[in-house]
Amino acid sequence: MTDTTSPITQIRMAAANPVAPGRTPWKHEAVGFVLGFTMLALLPLLFGDTYARHILIMAFIYAIVASNWDLSLGYGGVFNFGHLALFGIGVYAYSLLTKLAGLDPWIALLASGVIATLAAIVVTIPILRLKGIYIILVTFGFAQLIMQVILSQSDITGGTQGLVRIPGLYWFDHNMVRDAKLAYFYIALALLVASTLFLRVFVRSRTGASIVALRDNEEYAISRGVSIVRQRMLTLAASAFFTGIAGAFYAAYQRNASIDVFGMSLATIILSMVLLGGTSTIYGAIIASFVLTIFAEWMADFGAWRPIITAVLIIGVMLAYPSGLAGMIKSAWNVVAGRIKRPA
Amino acid sequence: MSALAEILFGGLFQGSLYAMMAVGLALVWTTIGVFNFSHGVFMMLGAYIAWQLVELGLPAAVAFPIAVVVMAGVGWILQASVVRPLIGRPNIVLVVVITTLAAGSLIENGALTIWGPRSKQIPALIDGNTTIGGVGVSLHQIAIIVITPLILAALWMFLNRTRLGLALRAVAQNEDASHLVGLNVTALYGLAFAIAASLAGLAGIFMGGYRFMSPVMGSDPLLKALIVVVFGGISSISGPIFAAYLIGFFEAACSYYFGLYWTPALLFGVLILTLMVRPEGIFASRSRGLA
Repeated sequence: MTDTTSPITQIRMAAANPVAPGRTPWKHEAVGFVLGFTMLALLPLLFGDTYARHILIMAFIYAIVASNWDLSLGYGGVFNFGHLALFGIGVYAYSLLTKLAGLDPWIALLASGVIATLAAIVVTIPILRLKGIYIILVTFGFAQLIMQVILSQSDITGGTQGLVRIPGLYWFDHNMVRDAKLAYFYIALALLVASTLFLRVFVRSRTGASIVALRDNEEYAISRGVSIVRQRMLTLAASAFFTGIAGAFYAAYQRNASIDVFGMSLATIILSMVLLGGTSTIYGAIIASFVLTIFAEWMADFGAWRPIITAVLIIGVMLAYPSGLAGMIKSAWNVVAGRIKRPA
Repeated sequence: MSALAEILFGGLFQGSLYAMMAVGLALVWTTIGVFNFSHGVFMMLGAYIAWQLVELGLPAAVAFPIAVVVMAGVGWILQASVVRPLIGRPNIVLVVVITTLAAGSLIENGALTIWGPRSKQIPALIDGNTTIGGVGVSLHQIAIIVITPLILAALWMFLNRTRLGLALRAVAQNEDASHLVGLNVTALYGLAFAIAASLAGLAGIFMGGYRFMSPVMGSDPLLKALIVVVFGGISSISGPIFAAYLIGFFEAACSYYFGLYWTPALLFGVLILTLMVRPEGIFASRSRGLA
C-alpha cells in the first residue's frame, strides 16, 4: 500500500493547496456533529417503547466499538483482530470490579476503560516489529488467549456459564428500571458523543496525521522523525479506552457477562460495520452500526436464517462497494458540492 | 517411561492434525497472498459430509475419499465467489478476511440448519485399542500418525516434482511472470484453495473419528493452525509442518506437567517470545516462496 508519488511531489502538492485537500473545515464538521447528535438525542420522543430504545442502545454500543476499531484499523493500518477482546475485557473488568470488589459502578466503568487501555499496551509489545498479516495472527491469538484464561478461571469468572446479576448503573435517585430505558439511552448516547469527539479530535490532530503518515509511507514518516513504536502504542491505547468503557456499559446494561463477547460471530458483525461503513472515517463505522443493527432487527422473524442472510449481504456489499457506505455518501456529496461551486 | 511415551504420542497425534490444517493455510497464503478464515469451517464441513455419506450407507473407505473430493470443489467455489473478485484491490488482505469470515459463518449456520446442533461421530479409520510403552492408544490415532506424514510427503512431492506443483510455486513467487509464461493463474488460485480445503476436510474426518462433531468444531483447530503458521513462518510449506509437530510436543508436555488450563497461556507466551526475536517465524526464510 505504499504511495508511488515521490515525497517531494507530495509536499509541493500540499504547498499549492494551503487548505488540506479532502479535509472538511473543523467548523463545518462541528455543525454537522452537533446537528447529528441532537437528532439522535431527540429519538426517544419518537420511540417511546422499551424495545425500540433497546435496539438504539445496542446500536450506540456497537457504534462505539466499531468507530474505535476504525482508529486502529483504518487510520493506523494496524490489523488489530483483538479489538473485541478489549471490549470483552471491559465487560469482565466491570463485572468483577462491581460484583467481587464491590466498587461503585461509575468508578468501575472508568476503571474498565483504563484496564482495556493497559491490555492494549501489552498486546502492542509483540506486534511492534510486525506487519500486516502477522499482526492479524498475533492479535487474534491474544483474543483467544484472553478467552481461554476467562474460561479456565471459572471459579471467579463463571467460565462458560458467565456471570449474572451484575450491578447496573445509577443516576442519583432516578429509577433506572421503570423509565422505559430512558436513562440508559442517554448514558449510551453520552458515551458515544464523548467517544466520537475524542476520536475525531485525535485523528485531526498532528498525532493523528502522523499515524496516517506511518500507514501510508512508513519509511518516509520514520525518516521525518515519527516514532513507529510510540505512535502504534498510542493508536492502540487510544482505540482501547472507549472500547473498554463500552464493554463495561454493556455489562451494566445487560446485567450479565458471557463468554460470547469473544466469539467470532460478534467480531465478524463489528468488523463488517467498520468495513461496510468505510475505513478511516469514524462516522462511516457509526452509520454502518445503525444500519446493520436495525437491519438485523428487521430480520428477527427469519430465526436461524438471519446469520446466513447477514453473511450473504456482507459478502455482497464488500464485492460491490469496496469503499463502503461513507465512500458512497462522500462521492455523492462531492458531486453535489461540485455542481454548487462550479456551475457547468 | 510412560510419561515420555505419553508426551511423544500426544505430540505426534496433535502435531499431525495441526500440520494438516496449517499446511492448507500456508498454501493459500503463499499462492494468493490472502488469509482464509473459513479454513476451520472447511474442516467441519468435510467431517459432516463424510458423516452424511456414511449415514447414507456408504462404507467409510468410499465415503471418506468422496468427502475429500467434494471439499476440493467447495474450496474452489469459495475461492471463485469471495476471493477471486477481490484480487487487485488495494486492501485485499483485510477485505478477504471479512469475506471469508462471512462465508465461514454462512457455511457454519448452514450446517447447523441442515444437520442440527446434536453431536455426531463418524467411524474411526481402524477400530480397536492397543498399548504402547505403557500408554493406551486407539488404532485410529495411530493410523492418523502414520497417514499424515505420507500425505504431507505427497504434497511436498507434488509441489516440488510435478509440473502443476511447480506452476503453483511459480505463481506464489511471481504472479506477473507466471502470466507471461502462459500459466493459468486463476485456475492455480482455485487449485490452491481446493488442495487446502481437501486437507482441512481430511483433518475434519480424522477428528470426527475420535471426538464428537459439532458445527463449531473447526474454530479451535483454526486457532491452533494460526499459531502454528505464525510460529513456523507462513512463507513456506515445511516451516509450518515442523512447527506443527513442535507445538504438538510442546502442548503434550505442558498439559502433562502443568495441566490443561495453563497450556494455552504458555503456548501464547512462547509465541510472543518467538515473534519478538524472529518475527518471520523460526523456520522461515525471509522471502515469500513455497517449500
